[in-house]
Amino acid sequence: MFIGTEKLSHIYMPGTPYATKALEEVSFSLDRGDFALLIGPSGSGKSTLIQHLNGLLKPSGGKVIFEDRELGSDSVDLLALRKRIGLVFQMAEEHFFSETVYDEVAFAPRNLGLDEVKVEQNVKLALERVGLEWEVVHDRHPFQLSSGQKRLVALAAVLSLQPEVLILDEPTAGLDPGGRLHLFALLKSLNQQAGLTVLVCTHHMDEVADLADSVLVLNRGKVIMSGPAHDIFARRQEFNKLGLSLPEVTEVMHCLAAAGLPARTDIYSLEQARAEINSLKRRLEK
Amino acid sequence: MSRSITLGQYMPGESLIHQLNPRVKILALLMMLAVMFIVQTFYALIFLLLFAVLLLASSGVPFSYFLRGIRPILYIALFALVIYFFFTRGGVVLLRIGFITVESDGVREGLFVVTRLVALVLYSLLLTLTTTPLSLTHGMGYFLKPLKYIGLPTDEVAMIMSIALRFIPTLMEESQRLMRAQLSRGADFESGSIFRKAKSLVPLIVPLFISAFRRADELALAMEARGFRLGARRTRLHEDIIAPRDWAVLVFVAATLAAALVLNI
Repeated sequence: MFIGTEKLSHIYMPGTPYATKALEEVSFSLDRGDFALLIGPSGSGKSTLIQHLNGLLKPSGGKVIFEDRELGSDSVDLLALRKRIGLVFQMAEEHFFSETVYDEVAFAPRNLGLDEVKVEQNVKLALERVGLEWEVVHDRHPFQLSSGQKRLVALAAVLSLQPEVLILDEPTAGLDPGGRLHLFALLKSLNQQAGLTVLVCTHHMDEVADLADSVLVLNRGKVIMSGPAHDIFARRQEFNKLGLSLPEVTEVMHCLAAAGLPARTDIYSLEQARAEINSLKRRLEK
Repeated sequence: MSRSITLGQYMPGESLIHQLNPRVKILALLMMLAVMFIVQTFYALIFLLLFAVLLLASSGVPFSYFLRGIRPILYIALFALVIYFFFTRGGVVLLRIGFITVESDGVREGLFVVTRLVALVLYSLLLTLTTTPLSLTHGMGYFLKPLKYIGLPTDEVAMIMSIALRFIPTLMEESQRLMRAQLSRGADFESGSIFRKAKSLVPLIVPLFISAFRRADELALAMEARGFRLGARRTRLHEDIIAPRDWAVLVFVAATLAAALVLNI
């Protein structure tokens, strides 16, 4: 197993009347190079789960596994682990504290103890990877940027660790549609060109459903469904019951099928939908 | 981090004590504290301590919370005990080590002071563990009202206090989230010299301040949008009614305290 959990449980504030079970026996696994989605209604334990994956939270029961080794066994160096598993928090631009974009992105590599030449290389590469121009942004104040750019800087601030796994918590929360599209295109290229293993927590499925290899659905701290994306998205009824929705184009295709047209319903992106509707038209005209 | 603030943290419950009017609880506490300082005999003090234990049991709050609340004062108690044992003269000499003596008056007074301290803390814990911070400030606001006549804006002070209390858990949660976020960017808050440690707090403090100011700004706007004006009279969602059972409890407490005073003679 590259990265995953085995019967992971987590209880917040154990032993008090405020004790809450956030996770109950959650098991899942990802292979190197996967693009996975973690979906679930608010409060389902998504954020708790991903914070276990780089050792920020300790399990109350069960194991977290990275490269076949259990996390929390003493031999695992947390800094080395966090260098390899990058975690981008929700609204990560609220955690900025530096006076220039450069310093903000350099925070992580400096913490690794790299020398300044290497740090600058890492920062340059990270900014380049998120599509921000070095000359334009590196000496600007992070708060002068647009919200979309801030989010990209926040992503670069983790990419500057040069991680192998990238975990993102609601990366598009509060972004406009353009920003969302750009971000997902970026994640796709990080996954496919740079070979990063990507895990995205979200409930905006419109742009991301098409990218995912596998899907994990959480509800009230338990795994409700997990498996290859196409199998999971076929279970539309269960999705709706949880208050989650499939991408809008998928819903449209389901409506067409419900109206008696021979339309495919395993459509998760606009391009696929356009092709399917065109072919449907041709088939009907014959 | 959350463990260290259990002293005085509200524990939800359904007991009679939980449901009493906070004004009544505060008044009862004040009465108890006053009597506690009046009594001079062990009988009366033990009686008051037993009364405290009875009240604790009826509150339904696990006993371990009271023990945890007492823990911080253990050192003070121990210190007081030592001072009294060795430095108060009078009565029979109980122990003699060279020129140091422990005399019976010292032992008696030391035990008395420590028992009183424990009882004081138990009564105070009883109030804070069974009353939400919000109703506590409402209750205190009521007793501060007379200060209005000398020009103190007591309503506003109560409002500031309740907002501050309301945001303590929020800021705690936020600082923990921030800490984890910076940890995942490789931050290290633990090792190094004291200067390094202080410097490592910058990535926590700056964002915390920024968000606190933004939150304050938004809150002010939201309050104004909902009609909050300085000096305007406010009505409350939960009316502050003193019910018959509140009176009954007050009378009961007063009677018990009177009994303690009788024992004091």
